[in-house]
Amino acid sequence: MREGRWPARLGRWLPEAARRDLYQPAVADLEVECTRRLTEAGSRSSRALLAARRGLILAWIFFECVRIVVLQHLVPAAQTARPTRRGRRRDMMDILRHDLRHALRLFGREPAFAAAAVLVLTLGIGATTALFAVVEAALLRPLPYRSADALVRVKHRDVRTGLAKPDIALGDFIDLAARQHAFEVFGGYYGFQSTLLGAGDPVRVQGLTATPELFEVLDLPLSMGRGFGPEDAREGAAPVAIVSHELWRTVLGSDANVLSRSVRLGATRTLIVGVASPGFRFPPDQRTDVIVPIALPVAAPGQRKSGWIYGLGRLREGVALEQAQAELATLSRQFEQAFPQQNQGSLYYVESLRDALVGDSKRPLLFLLAAVGFVLLIACANVGNLLLARSLARQQEFSIRLALGAGRGRVIAQIVTESTVLALAGGLAAVAVAWWVAPMVASLVPQTTAIPGLDRVGINPLVLLFALAVSLVAALVFSGVSCASLTRDGARGSLAASRRTTMTASARRASSGLVEVEIALAVILLIGAVLTLRSFANLLAVDPGFTARGVLLVQLELPAARYADAPARRAFYDRAFAGLEALPAVETVGAGVVTPLAGNNWTVPLRRPEYPVPAGERPPEVGWQAASGGYFRALNIPLRAGRLFDARDTAESAPVVIISESIATQYFAGEDAVGQRVIVGDDVTEIVGVVGDIRRAALTDTPRADMYFPFERQPRNSIGLFIRTAGDPLATLPAIRTTVHQIEPDAVLYDTRTMAEVTAESAAVTELSMRLLGGFAIVALALAAVGVYSVMAYTVGRRSRELATRLALGASRSDIIRLVMRQAVLIAAVGLTIGMVGGLLAARALSTVLYDVPPWDPVALAVAGAALAATTVAASCLPARRASRVDPVRTLAAE
Amino acid sequence: MQPRALPALTHLQYLVLGVLRTGPQPGRVLRQALASYGARRSGPAFYQLMARLERASLVEGWYEQITVGDQNVTERRYRVTPEGSRAWARVRSFYDEVSRLSSRVRWSDA
Repeated sequence: MREGRWPARLGRWLPEAARRDLYQPAVADLEVECTRRLTEAGSRSSRALLAARRGLILAWIFFECVRIVVLQHLVPAAQTARPTRRGRRRDMMDILRHDLRHALRLFGREPAFAAAAVLVLTLGIGATTALFAVVEAALLRPLPYRSADALVRVKHRDVRTGLAKPDIALGDFIDLAARQHAFEVFGGYYGFQSTLLGAGDPVRVQGLTATPELFEVLDLPLSMGRGFGPEDAREGAAPVAIVSHELWRTVLGSDANVLSRSVRLGATRTLIVGVASPGFRFPPDQRTDVIVPIALPVAAPGQRKSGWIYGLGRLREGVALEQAQAELATLSRQFEQAFPQQNQGSLYYVESLRDALVGDSKRPLLFLLAAVGFVLLIACANVGNLLLARSLARQQEFSIRLALGAGRGRVIAQIVTESTVLALAGGLAAVAVAWWVAPMVASLVPQTTAIPGLDRVGINPLVLLFALAVSLVAALVFSGVSCASLTRDGARGSLAASRRTTMTASARRASSGLVEVEIALAVILLIGAVLTLRSFANLLAVDPGFTARGVLLVQLELPAARYADAPARRAFYDRAFAGLEALPAVETVGAGVVTPLAGNNWTVPLRRPEYPVPAGERPPEVGWQAASGGYFRALNIPLRAGRLFDARDTAESAPVVIISESIATQYFAGEDAVGQRVIVGDDVTEIVGVVGDIRRAALTDTPRADMYFPFERQPRNSIGLFIRTAGDPLATLPAIRTTVHQIEPDAVLYDTRTMAEVTAESAAVTELSMRLLGGFAIVALALAAVGVYSVMAYTVGRRSRELATRLALGASRSDIIRLVMRQAVLIAAVGLTIGMVGGLLAARALSTVLYDVPPWDPVALAVAGAALAATTVAASCLPARRASRVDPVRTLAAE
Repeated sequence: MQPRALPALTHLQYLVLGVLRTGPQPGRVLRQALASYGARRSGPAFYQLMARLERASLVEGWYEQITVGDQNVTERRYRVTPEGSRAWARVRSFYDEVSRLSSRVRWSDA
């Protein structure tokens, strides 16, 4: 075989000497061998095989030369005869195996130490990993849509009131969609609930009404059928729907001919045109059983705020969130100038879909992760202190090994191995703890936050990687701490010293420093815990303006086909309310569209005929609610003046409203509001009553100006029933169901909760923060106490001779106690000072979950300081007492 | 008594020189000889050994054209230098001495 050009070309990459001495003769041998075999080979296939083999061997020869060249550079010439890299690797593995065996033997000899260290680490790493698993699911895991980072929600804020709404006025949505350039595609949607009929038993379904563009925004994958086209969203188009894969499988029996099948959705017969891919959900935290198209007008209606819709866009490639923000601000200004009476103060802005879903929970979650990180640090500091004391006890062992010729690197390697074994054992147990605890922590996160992914919290590769990384960092910290005692002087000196070894100055500083860090971190956690506790207490003490206790909330939906007109609905409600109020446990029954404290911010413009709104200005907005007279009685919302809604308020009667006290004082100051008129839409409406203010969207709200419209005038198909009961509200549920179903068997009752639960959910994020921070603070305090105790106990042991001398020279026992306590107080004071400063800084991050408590709350600072001081004193009492009982004669004689 | 010097050759170098004392050999034959004693070396690693011997002037190497089938190819061949022969003889006498001395020793496990 002729020597090809490739070997020569490859050889050019090698240094001259290597090419000449190693590469060329080896390649020559290869050529001889290959030529001989080629001569013997008969078939073309065996020749091809040989050529391939030759190429591989050539490459191998080249890399072998590279390896030798690199080794020659790394290892001095005199040592080239030493073991090869493989040999060195084998040696290292032997050393590692030896160190591992040694570490396990040592821990086996000191099981209490090993168990304590692993337990503390399990606690720290486990809690951190569990919380990280929750944060990973909520904030890090990609949303289940293509390029989900580019998805943004368009939201609305009234800059006059500061109230934010997640939805867009219909007129503004249509104009925004037409004029915007920041989005590749912009769609709208809203959710609904309905009953699916025509596929066996009626099924309650969660639906999504969407513009055809939403499919492009989400890049909705379909298992079969088609998406929506513009013709489906036209006025008068035949109703069509896409069903979820799960609904197709479970309710529609995996019908292969589903695409030609019609079902009834509420009152509408709907043709199924598609089946979504398995697992599709939008929003991602909600089930999506059915998707139907929205029929939107082509041009914006004159009444721009006649309807509301959620807006979702996909940012154009290369367009940043800020650019979209700026464009929406410009469009908002244009709308404001063009429609001042309707759009004054309306500002549209974008928020990434994830932030929109996670909402205000993001900061508390990250804060809690940081807080649990503090617990981990405290745990590490504690174990570090244990290791420091242990390495001190082993100083003689290290000194002997150094004296016998072991390199410092070898001793350090042993320490690192031991620390790594401890940390990994803790990490392993922590993963088991996190696997168990993470879903529990996720279940504590209130459902109302609608954070996606919380139902799938668990241990995945990223969480495992996190636990491993935390364990390795902990191992590194422990190694550093243990090596602090291994200074050159300490190692040399301790061999000659007596068996009683003492800490070197650096080790002493490290030990005290670790306890100071522990105390500082514990103070920060304590301040956070007290702040959230006080916030929670303040929230519980808030008067929402109504009495939640004893009230049951049940959502009711009537079959749309049977109750198409208002008189039929009214007749049903009259019978239902009478039947329910006849139940022995029921005191009052009311109906309302908006559930208080559930985040609703629907508003309506308030205009008085006597004071026309100046041109170019928009009337003020007040909260909107449609309620029956029983609603106020059931919730104990006090009537301040006039009357509540009653049988006089019918569809035929003159329109009336009830206003809240705030409207009366703000807009009818010095007048009797009852009997006055306001303009609502095109109607002039009479105010018939004034009721007390309530906190509408959340407990943290200020009491709001609300306007109530009579439910009796326009009873809806879907309503919330507010039922005040004499005893346990949930106990009356079966009787309520029976009564309603006796009147209308197809009525659906769902989403049953007590109003007390609704109220508690409003404080749930604060409660979650309080519970977790409280737990962390207690653990931190306990660990800090252990830290103080261990340092003081060690110090007393080390200073026993000095203490004995003092006693022998006439010091009293109380002098000795004071001496020891002074040192403990000094350590605590340093930790406390650092902790107070850190706590004040950290408390600012908590501000979103604080209510009526400033981050610099003196009570929180005082409580944290006092708790820490008490803990320090308690933890040092025992060592101080032991110090005062030192027997001078025996101690000095022993020394 | 003059202290005896330890051999300046490694056992592999000694082996290579020993094979070459029978006459010039191609590198691949020497490599096979080492392999037959259990000392398997990659081509480049073996020629590194030979390069060291050449630099120490214990062997001399050159390329020679040979014919395999109908193809002309080159191969690296080596011969031992007089200095190489002397070095081999010195090591041989050392091993002989060790062998002679150790033959009188009664090994406890013998």
